[in-house]
Amino acid sequence: MKRHPMLKYLKEEGPLGPRMPLIFCPGCGSGQVLNYTLHAVDKLIEEDEVRRENFLFISGIGCSGRITSHYLNFDSAWTIHGRALAVATGALLANPAFKIVVFTGDGDTGSIGGNHFIHACRRNIDVTILCLNNGLYGMTGGQHAPTTPIGTITTTTPYRNREAAFDLCKLAEIAGASYVARWTTAHPQQVIKSIMKGLRKKGTAFIEILSQCPVHEKKTPVDLLKGFRRNTIRISKSKESTDGKTLIGEFCDLDRREWNESYQEIIDQFVMENDKIDE
Amino acid sequence: MNKLWIDERYCKGCLICVDVCPKKALKASPEINSKGYILPVEKDMKRCKSCGLCEVMCPDFAIAIEKAEG
Ligand SMILES: Cc1ncc(C[n+]2csc(CCOP(=O)(O)OP(=O)(O)O)c2C)c(N)n1
Ligand code: SF4
Ligand code: SF4
Ligand code: SF4
Ligand SMILES: [Mg+2]
Repeated sequence: MKRHPMLKYLKEEGPLGPRMPLIFCPGCGSGQVLNYTLHAVDKLIEEDEVRRENFLFISGIGCSGRITSHYLNFDSAWTIHGRALAVATGALLANPAFKIVVFTGDGDTGSIGGNHFIHACRRNIDVTILCLNNGLYGMTGGQHAPTTPIGTITTTTPYRNREAAFDLCKLAEIAGASYVARWTTAHPQQVIKSIMKGLRKKGTAFIEILSQCPVHEKKTPVDLLKGFRRNTIRISKSKESTDGKTLIGEFCDLDRREWNESYQEIIDQFVMENDKIDE
Repeated sequence: MNKLWIDERYCKGCLICVDVCPKKALKASPEINSKGYILPVEKDMKRCKSCGLCEVMCPDFAIAIEKAEG
């Protein structure tokens, strides 16, 4: 029997028995984002000869956070709600060579972790943030989030959501992230390329991925993916108007100084001064 | 001819693979399995071009396409 090519990066068995199937509901975007991420990682291992032990995967809490819970055959940390970036900052201080992927949800990033998010971007810490945006709190029962579009019915907005949604990409860009892009789970090749770009880039790469939650959106995964194709428009094709659609593509790709590098300068300066004293 | 492999332990019958196949080589099984899922089955694997899209887009790492030799 031939098996899925990315299973080589997953832990199918643990000391307490089988770890798979994944915990996600049928057709959930979380599994797809994991699949795309492993394809990107596979290419980096092959093309850039990045060593497997240099990758580190960190997540917060939520369905999207469960990606790191116990499936990855890499170093990974399943941390606390909204705080994955704080843990990533610490990890980078300990080892600036880490290739860090942070999996987070729209609630994890936009509400409880909002401050960690903007300050990670401001500092431009060297991480690749994959924000799975399903426009709601999936894990806790489909409540509305700061990313829920106006007019959407959720379990806590039965009369339709009245509050404006955060544009997480705009927030990341204005706060100072080096690389910002938005795609959907219906754009696998673009997501894979963006993740590779993010991991190769110094500084914060924020990649928002619109991701389906078939359970709370009450539609089939196939219909939700079709909706993503129908209701999005590439930045390059939206010069005149967005036609009421969500913009997808790369919003910025800059060479800004990354956080650890600027601290390294202080260390280098002290080393130099000490060397002088020794002379 | 290429061959479709489905890991019945992992497949949750979302049928994303059937929908995204550009060659329409797969279809939904007429049967419901013991977990209540409708799994994908081969429709016409002569059309399969080994593009790998079904494998890339599967949320559950349940599908694999074995290339015909030669
Ligand atoms: C400190 C803390 N507050 C609240 C919760 C409850 N909680 C768990 S997941 C979640 C929201 C998750 O939403 P999101 O980040 O969008 O992830 P999704 O499940 O949609 O992928 C909340 C509020 C928690 N676990 N910890
Ligand atoms: S509740 Fe929604 S986001 Fe959570 S696993 Fe199920 S489908 Fe995915
Ligand atoms: S995409 Fe994967 S989980 Fe969904 S039906 Fe196809 S093989 Fe099964
Ligand atoms: S490899 Fe491509 S052509 Fe073949 S079944 Fe999968 S999606 Fe269809
Ligand atoms: Mg969410």
